[in-house]
Amino acid sequence: MTLFFGVVGSFVAVAGFAILLETPGKYLPHAGIAGAIGGFVYLLGIEGELNVVLASFLSALAIALTSHTFARIFKAPVTIFLIAGILPTVPGAGMYQIVYYIIANDSAKSSYYLIQTLEIAGVIALAIFIMDTLFKVRIKKIEKP
Amino acid sequence: MDYKLVMNMAVMAGELMLRSGAETHRVEDTMYHILRTANAETVEASVMMTGIVATIGNPDMEPITVIKRVQERGTNLNRIMLVNEISRNYCAGEISPEEAYEELKGIGGKQYHVWVYNLATVMVPAGFAPLFGGGGMEVLAAAVVGLILALIITVGKRLQINGFILDTLSSLGVAVTATFLKQLFPFLDNDIVIISSIMPLVPGVAITNAVRDTLHGDYISGGARILEAFLKAAAVALGVGAGMALTGAFYIGGGLL
Repeated sequence: MTLFFGVVGSFVAVAGFAILLETPGKYLPHAGIAGAIGGFVYLLGIEGELNVVLASFLSALAIALTSHTFARIFKAPVTIFLIAGILPTVPGAGMYQIVYYIIANDSAKSSYYLIQTLEIAGVIALAIFIMDTLFKVRIKKIEKP
Repeated sequence: MDYKLVMNMAVMAGELMLRSGAETHRVEDTMYHILRTANAETVEASVMMTGIVATIGNPDMEPITVIKRVQERGTNLNRIMLVNEISRNYCAGEISPEEAYEELKGIGGKQYHVWVYNLATVMVPAGFAPLFGGGGMEVLAAAVVGLILALIITVGKRLQINGFILDTLSSLGVAVTATFLKQLFPFLDNDIVIISSIMPLVPGVAITNAVRDTLHGDYISGGARILEAFLKAAAVALGVGAGMALTGAFYIGGGLL
């Protein structure tokens, strides 16, 4: 049940965020679906007691795959689906916690969140890179006679 | 070939993309493709997060170099998509340089009405609450706090308050409202409500783009983006801290945590 609410929540949140990022109206549901898939994988990972960083990596991979697929199907740039869709995974709360604990004078917690946030941001970027590369390779193979 | 027109078009396309939050290498790529249609011998486009330098040179003329400083930056996926489309059509030879330039000039900013943005600002916190482990009551509370947040952001933008201060004020409003709700309904989990409600403000996309730029070898843009992300996070955390300290002094008798 938590999983279901989480997935619905990430759909709503990503669709809302897509509006704030000025995504063209007709692609709002698609961005929401990409986000919901990402939220699903992430929550599944957390429930399966995976590390947060690993769960983020898998979720980012799923989102990048969905975005690339959507981009091919609907003939739109990948960024449209990717930037909003990646949101449930992205370490926004972590960024806040780093600075919050610095202000609260708790350097142990702030450095914990600093390292975790950098790791998550790193693996997300890595996941996006991996998918970009995979899709480029695939296209080149098809173009060969 | 009208080198000046191609140059102006490339710089305009680059500026639009950079202002809309496109990655540095994507901007360089688009500018390079446009500039190459001039068939000049040397073509260079160097984009940093805060400005653009582009040059075009041929043996039969003086080289043209343009520097463009880009001040404001936000995220506007619609603009990126439109610029992309125009530049692709132009490079494929489907539209003339004049047409492409006019089309680029016509690209506007906002595409939705103000209340749609406000609705979105309510949707984001409500949607994030279950992801952070909140139940039905937390979702409702986050939506209420999101409403206050939307109100503060709309009024602040109308008064043209500077970005850093507006982020601080917004998150202060979030913390105060959340603590107030917690006093009314003691069963709420305050942390979940606050973290979900600041999600429209925190620089999650910014830090990820910073790492993407850095991995791509654009170290200056990557570094600048990291700095921007931390500044934004500082504004938000400062606001929440101040809000908690304020309300804490009223209800619990002081203390940040």
